[in-house]
Amino acid sequence: MTRPTDRAAAVHADAVAIGRIGVATQGMLRTFVGSCVAVALLDRRRGLAALAHVMLPASHGAATPPGKFADTAVPEMLRLLAERAGEAPACTAKLVGGARMFAFGTGTPIGEQNVAALEHALAVARIPVIARDCGGDCGRRVSVDVATGAVTVETVGHGTRTL
Amino acid sequence: MSGVSHEIETLFRAGAAQASRALAAWLDRPASLVVERLESLPLADAVAVLGRGDEPICGAGMQVAGGLGGVILLTAPDAVGLILADLVLGRSPGTSRAWHDLERSAVMETANIVGCRYLNPLATGLGVEDAGALIPSPPCFVRDFPATVMQAALSMQTAESDSVLLATTEFSIDGVPTRCGLVFVPDAAALGRLAAAGGRGRPA
Repeated sequence: MTRPTDRAAAVHADAVAIGRIGVATQGMLRTFVGSCVAVALLDRRRGLAALAHVMLPASHGAATPPGKFADTAVPEMLRLLAERAGEAPACTAKLVGGARMFAFGTGTPIGEQNVAALEHALAVARIPVIARDCGGDCGRRVSVDVATGAVTVETVGHGTRTL
Repeated sequence: MSGVSHEIETLFRAGAAQASRALAAWLDRPASLVVERLESLPLADAVAVLGRGDEPICGAGMQVAGGLGGVILLTAPDAVGLILADLVLGRSPGTSRAWHDLERSAVMETANIVGCRYLNPLATGLGVEDAGALIPSPPCFVRDFPATVMQAALSMQTAESDSVLLATTEFSIDGVPTRCGLVFVPDAAALGRLAAAGGRGRPA
């Protein structure tokens, strides 16, 4: 779990590793996603943000680290935000990723499964998804500006957009 | 080669030797594959194997089904990949400046030829009864961030563990290391075969 100090976050963008969760009160949170999904929970009123790098849709009981799975990441993000805020956060969510980088195999691609599982987990937690950039066949570099809640999505060959 | 038995290491080197001959014949010049890394890594480290930067890499990936399943990737920095395409196409290195169908096809076919020749001795050595039963998917070209390419390849192994067995090789062409190479990520069944062949439990 990434927990930058406020001072460090003010100077550096904080990288969230695969399967992990980062929480910050200022600065930037960043990660790269291919078939994985970056889910950002933003509490603008309290100036809080959490970013999880989710790899798989379901933990099936193996919930370590919790950021790795869609069904465990969202509750853990809410717990971390509440711990930081001292009360239950009021969040909105933004989703990025879930690409199909290689056209392998049959069935529902893992990226689509990840997005669907996160949408379900967010619905259960009553957190509205206010923006998304999901699917396709390219990877994405994701940067969350904690102060503004803006999520910048950069790709190779497909430009940059801000959610 | 930490955490991997001598027997397994020998099998991967045999695969690299056969792939070296295939690469040299394919390029019609001296070429070889050197086994660089064969080890179990934490996920975060495995994702960074192709680099931590923002510069795109190129390559081709194949999913292999059968007795020795997994994902095999050929990857290279963009400029190196274009030079590889030039060599395959019989052009002077540096001729290609951008990725078009022909250059993509050259890289995909290289992955197909070299990747399959790399895995065949491995399958035979692991006792897969018919190495011809290895079924590679058609290669897919990719040009993307290093981390996202690796994530896609790793997704087959990560459900079971927070560490990943990786085998990486580097191509040497005309005696010069190229930063172009193969990465093999075995699937769960192949991991089991590797563990049994190594005789020391899971290769981790």
